[in-house]
Amino acid sequence: MSRETRLLMICPTSDVTPEMLARTIHAMGEPVGLKETCYGCLVEGEADVVRRVTDKVRDMEPYAIFSKRRAYRMGDPVRCRAQHGTRPGYSQLEEEWSKLPFIRAGLIAAEKGEVPPERPKREKLPVLKFKEICEVKE
Amino acid sequence: MKVFIDPPNSMILFDLVERFGHEPLSTMAALQERVDNLEVDMPPMNVTLDDVVRGLKYAGIEVPSGVRGRLAVWGPLIEEADAAIIVDDAPFGFGCVGCERSELMVKYLIRRRGIPALRLQYPETEEDGIEFVAKVKGFLEGLQ
Repeated sequence: MSRETRLLMICPTSDVTPEMLARTIHAMGEPVGLKETCYGCLVEGEADVVRRVTDKVRDMEPYAIFSKRRAYRMGDPVRCRAQHGTRPGYSQLEEEWSKLPFIRAGLIAAEKGEVPPERPKREKLPVLKFKEICEVKE
Repeated sequence: MKVFIDPPNSMILFDLVERFGHEPLSTMAALQERVDNLEVDMPPMNVTLDDVVRGLKYAGIEVPSGVRGRLAVWGPLIEEADAAIIVDDAPFGFGCVGCERSELMVKYLIRRRGIPALRLQYPETEEDGIEFVAKVKGFLEGLQ
């Protein structure tokens, strides 16, 4: 028996709300702990059960919900903001949250089998060209 | 296959690697072992004194202890990995990724191991996102 805590985050362009997500997981009737948060929710329980819940959520909303494991338990006093935990900040999550719409678009395109257009490689600027740019024209 | 992700706490990479059928090696799993075994008892640190000593395997004694501490967590993951996905130029001012020197060491260790590695940049537009996912998917499918 090993515990797993999983963080489920909703893509900002999705219509799903944390409340809807929490209700859906409750309705599954799986033996997991659940905490609704501003970005989605936290799920905690035995590893295989949590995996099952994550898979079901992913099947229901394949492009709207992203997840990762979390080292600390739900509401761990050293991590929890509500108790002024000593490990502050969700800066990484916040940063990645803002990029989720792009990843969502990528996943939808990959599902459709779209191939991204080839982009021209960035080449180094020739010295002469650089010199031209630097020279001040009167 | 086991895929090391860098930044090691990245949700995007963790999710994508899992979606495409591989096992992501991340900081979270490594730290969970320490949290569950009550090794981490010195807030606000995420590593123990033993970890910093263990980090000597991956970085010299003259290297700052912060780098050694990070490598003590990430080093064993890199040794365990069959492949790696690296996001270059990630914003470094946050989280456990907040050290450019550690990042350089991680890239060096991955290169020294000679495992297949994909290097990317975080997407800034929808087109970037499509390219990002396509590259990750292609790389992970090619591993099988």
